[in-house]
Amino acid sequence: MKRLLPIVLFALLLVPTARASESHPTLAELEGEVMCPVCETTLDQSSSPAAQQIKRLIATRIAAGDTKTQIKDRLVAEYGSAILAAPPHRGFGLVAWWLPVAGIVAAAVAVGFGARRWARSREPAPAGPPLDAASERRLDEELSRFEG
Amino acid sequence: MTRPARLAAQGLAVALVIGLLALLAWRVANDNGKGVAQALKDGEHPTAPAFDLSRLDGRGRFDLMALRGKKPIVLDFWASWCVPCIHESTRLEAALKRYGDRVAFIGVDTKDFSGDARDWQRKHGITYPSVHDGSGSVLAKWGGLPIPRIFFVARSGRVVGELIVEEDLPRYLRQIAAS
Repeated sequence: MKRLLPIVLFALLLVPTARASESHPTLAELEGEVMCPVCETTLDQSSSPAAQQIKRLIATRIAAGDTKTQIKDRLVAEYGSAILAAPPHRGFGLVAWWLPVAGIVAAAVAVGFGARRWARSREPAPAGPPLDAASERRLDEELSRFEG
Repeated sequence: MTRPARLAAQGLAVALVIGLLALLAWRVANDNGKGVAQALKDGEHPTAPAFDLSRLDGRGRFDLMALRGKKPIVLDFWASWCVPCIHESTRLEAALKRYGDRVAFIGVDTKDFSGDARDWQRKHGITYPSVHDGSGSVLAKWGGLPIPRIFFVARSGRVVGELIVEEDLPRYLRQIAAS
């Protein structure tokens, strides 16, 4: 539990930053999250006229007080969902986010099962039932004959 | 692994493969092919791909199919950020005065912000109607970027040609007006 504490505290520290980014987005961060529709790169990588047009639109909406979600929704309404550099965290977009995680978990489970089976196959075979008194005496006689 | 668990895992793997194959089949079925521009270059005259898009002026939608068999069409793909589009659209606007009664002039504002597009039309005096193809999906079926791209569609719905050389504009207009 003590090991988890720093991680939890770090996650809690990030919450206000994420909220600020949502309610007061900057042009710079949105330029990295929005695609230029004619050059297939993010806006921050492009200076084409189409990219400049979208940058102006984003700057206008930021000045008007729109949230990041409102700005992105507006862009999707104008240009379609391909305008976003990453799929949205809702609806069908969730598949793109969770499919890799599901794949990693499935692979980890498969490796775990495989490792367990492999480890079991290497364990020594269990010993048979204990010898009865007559067999034990006979074994001792045979051994003493060899040792003698 | 127990037998039921093994069967479940195998069933899951088979379902995954079938799903991926279905996805591939859907992709192939919905492929735009080579596009109108490439078909014209290959000497073909394909049927104009249908589209039904919102009008830029907010007066409902425009369905290209509605004109098939009724009027020939000049289709102008443009955007407000496209500098050469000003020259081409202005030439079409001039041609509209001469052929507007026999030929439908339709603009397709593509990969563009509709507010800027409306300002652009006003600024340059473009009066023929345009539809908004923000995602560029219609443009992709006709050949994709770069723009401007101007196509001529006969009354039958067959694409007669694409304007490559400026001097060809009167010839194409006469050809489709007579179709």
